[in-house]
Amino acid sequence: MTITNPSRIHPAAKMHAEELAEGKISRREFLTRATALGVTTAAAYNMIGATPAEAGGHAKMGGTIRYQMEVRGLKEPRVYDWPQIANLMRGNFEYLVEYNNDGSVRGMLLESWDVSDDAKTVVLNVRTGVMWDDGTELTAEDVARNIAGWCEKDVEGNSMAGRMNTLIDPDTNVAIEGAIEVVDSHTVRLNLPKPDITIMVGMADYPAAIIPADFDADDIINSQGTGPFKLMELEVGVKARLERKPDHTWWGTEIYGGPFLDAIEYIDYGTDPSAFLAAFDAEEIDSLYESVGEFIDVMDSLELERSEVVTGATMVIRTNQATEVDGKAIYADKRVRQAFALSVNNDVVLELGYGNRGVPAENHHVAPVHPEYAELPKPEYNPEKALALMEEAGMADFEHELISIDDDWRKNSTDAAAAMMRDAGLNIKRTILPGSTFWNDWAKYPFSSTSWNHRPLGVQVLALAYRSGEAWNESAFSNAEFDSLLGEGLSIADADARREVMAKIQMVMQEEGVIVQPYWRSLYNHSRPGWVGTGIHISYEHHHYKWAMAA
Amino acid sequence: MGLFILRRVGVMLLTALCLTFIVFFLTNLYPNLEKLAKTQGNMRMTDEQVDSWLSERGYLDPLPVKYGRWLGVVPGWTFEDPDDGKVRGRCIEPGMDPAEAPRYCGILQGDWGFSTVFKDEVGTVTANRLALTGKLMFWVMVLMVPSALLIGVLAGMREGSKLDRSLSTFSIASTATPEYVSGVIFITLLASSSGVKWFKGTATSAADNATFENFFLPVLTIALYGVGYIARMTRASMTEVMTAQYIRTARLKGVSFRNIVLKHALRNALIAPFTVIMLQFPWLLNGVVIVETLFNYKGFGWTLVQAAGNNDIELLLACSVAAVFVVLVTQLISDIGYVFLNPRIRIA
Repeated sequence: MTITNPSRIHPAAKMHAEELAEGKISRREFLTRATALGVTTAAAYNMIGATPAEAGGHAKMGGTIRYQMEVRGLKEPRVYDWPQIANLMRGNFEYLVEYNNDGSVRGMLLESWDVSDDAKTVVLNVRTGVMWDDGTELTAEDVARNIAGWCEKDVEGNSMAGRMNTLIDPDTNVAIEGAIEVVDSHTVRLNLPKPDITIMVGMADYPAAIIPADFDADDIINSQGTGPFKLMELEVGVKARLERKPDHTWWGTEIYGGPFLDAIEYIDYGTDPSAFLAAFDAEEIDSLYESVGEFIDVMDSLELERSEVVTGATMVIRTNQATEVDGKAIYADKRVRQAFALSVNNDVVLELGYGNRGVPAENHHVAPVHPEYAELPKPEYNPEKALALMEEAGMADFEHELISIDDDWRKNSTDAAAAMMRDAGLNIKRTILPGSTFWNDWAKYPFSSTSWNHRPLGVQVLALAYRSGEAWNESAFSNAEFDSLLGEGLSIADADARREVMAKIQMVMQEEGVIVQPYWRSLYNHSRPGWVGTGIHISYEHHHYKWAMAA
Repeated sequence: MGLFILRRVGVMLLTALCLTFIVFFLTNLYPNLEKLAKTQGNMRMTDEQVDSWLSERGYLDPLPVKYGRWLGVVPGWTFEDPDDGKVRGRCIEPGMDPAEAPRYCGILQGDWGFSTVFKDEVGTVTANRLALTGKLMFWVMVLMVPSALLIGVLAGMREGSKLDRSLSTFSIASTATPEYVSGVIFITLLASSSGVKWFKGTATSAADNATFENFFLPVLTIALYGVGYIARMTRASMTEVMTAQYIRTARLKGVSFRNIVLKHALRNALIAPFTVIMLQFPWLLNGVVIVETLFNYKGFGWTLVQAAGNNDIELLLACSVAAVFVVLVTQLISDIGYVFLNPRIRIA
């Protein structure tokens, strides 16, 4: 009944396979692009003659894992602002598609999907035999209802609206009439007014959890779902416990294997890595949400197993061009922003702030791991010119307050950048805020550092964080040229063609001095020996069904 | 005696009322409310959204009205959602019919409100966390009081002796070492891979299942700080008693030194330390903040930090009431205890 012809492979995917053969793109880039075009992971691997690497295989049934993670209060999925919240409910609320560390996207609640050549029609084939807890089957109606919910832009803090932007009618702020079409009981067709290549990877992001029709935002913990685990206990800031639903047959057991564990316990140890270390020493936890900074080396010495993934996660030091300091929007002046960028040597920040655990970045927020990354000359490091520009802007005597969160790597990196700015002769004052207060105003600070998670395509984070008027546009960057170039980039399915536009976008970002972006991070976590599948995920997702005790 | 206790209870209620009003006033300043709205609603809300979020939940009403609601002498707020016509209100629990909900719901009705940060009833949160800190305090007292009194009495028996000098040095050193120093030293030396692993450097699991291994270090850290102080007080009191006329008389009568100390001196020497020990309770209640954070023990001090950091108004108020209660009850016990230790003191 599905529309996809299994033998039909998107022509662009074939082209990407050739590019890979020619060495023009990496394997990860190939997998991201091909799977985003509707090619199954297995088929994509087949096209290049490789076999996927899976963590499982030596897993045994049963057991309880104790996992360190901040335990936050629940919210309805589309307004999630932390991956941790999604992880608490991930065992129950599942996703249409799943993004994996090798850069591929695979179907979960979708059996397959098909993107038309002009990237204006997306056909979603809903998996059959997926059951809600009350025994009814997941249908195309459920999927269409969720997508329509993501499109409600007026809901305060609904970040899915940014990911589904193409589907939203700008006049009504809800989905365009007829854009989400239920074809039959298990098929949904999205008719986009203009090409959009990020819709599918957007559905893999953590706020895109599929919720039931009877979802009640006041009683999320007891909500039914399609997944194999249920959140049984939740004490915000203390701990949470997920248990496997008794007598529950999970649709994924036959297809992907698992789930193996009986229960998952999340324990909150605050934000201080030395507390995590003490918890490992006390044998109170089996696995860590993330290992950061110098603690990576310390943990390495503890006979723990380290996992690593190279990402597009980063920290940016940005100015807010609209926030007023002493009644004046001082960072509206391009020269001031450029001066900051010129005064910082990104390699040094990587070394001093993050112990060289990553690669230097180029102040435009597009990573080498993104398929459409265009290589530009390294950003200029020129302290004399920085001071000259600052003087020219008449801001030489102004004391700039650089704010960061109080943690390990972000604080150190921001300190390193601030030291270089001072060396260049700029007047910088550092302010460090505790984690509990930092995020209250994160988007409004005049001058501060922010961490950003990895996203599969380069255009995605630009659309979320730098497009005019977006909820997460913390730099208040509003540039007509950038917006139109990005709109163009978002409509080109072919990454090579997109790269030409991308080069221009990246240059605008650099020229405007929107951000000082020192490096791309590798992510790490540690687990005690004896666990499989608990390694770190590229965007902090916890795929509970993959976790197990080693047999 | 009955009148005395009654008067004390009256003072307690008055203090609690004043203190909670001050806390209420401070937590209801607009910037704090804005912070609350943003952590509860969404961090990226606009100013208009913040205003509508606050007014829909009655936060923008006059201060006396809001305080009255918390006390339960003013009817709770209600708000009818213009979109779906659903009525929400302070006194309407999720799933309850608005028509059947009570009009008043404050502490007079036994409702302490809802904690915005822990998403739970304030009464439950405070009770759970106080119980955990109570457990910690109990073991601290068990360790601290006997050892402090022993050190103080031994040191005060013979002023200026070698024993006195060495015990005094120990007391001063232990009091002079703040908890965040001694705690870190203990973790590094006794509970990590860089020292010996006799104990555990985190007390998170002690909340459910306290063992010697996971609970001793936090107990020791707090106790050590108090030991020196109480021991110094006991020593001072003891030396004073030992120079009193009646002790000299007893000695001249030929009473053994052991009997002088145990039967004649000890009771009189314990009056001053008794007050100090009672004063340790309120001090412990708020002083555990550092140790609870250091050892990740989720008790009252940790709750206070979380509540203050997130401007959780009703939880902070409940914490203040709990603190006032503990201070005044321990003072009451200390005053009554005086009567039994010192017959010269009478309570009218």
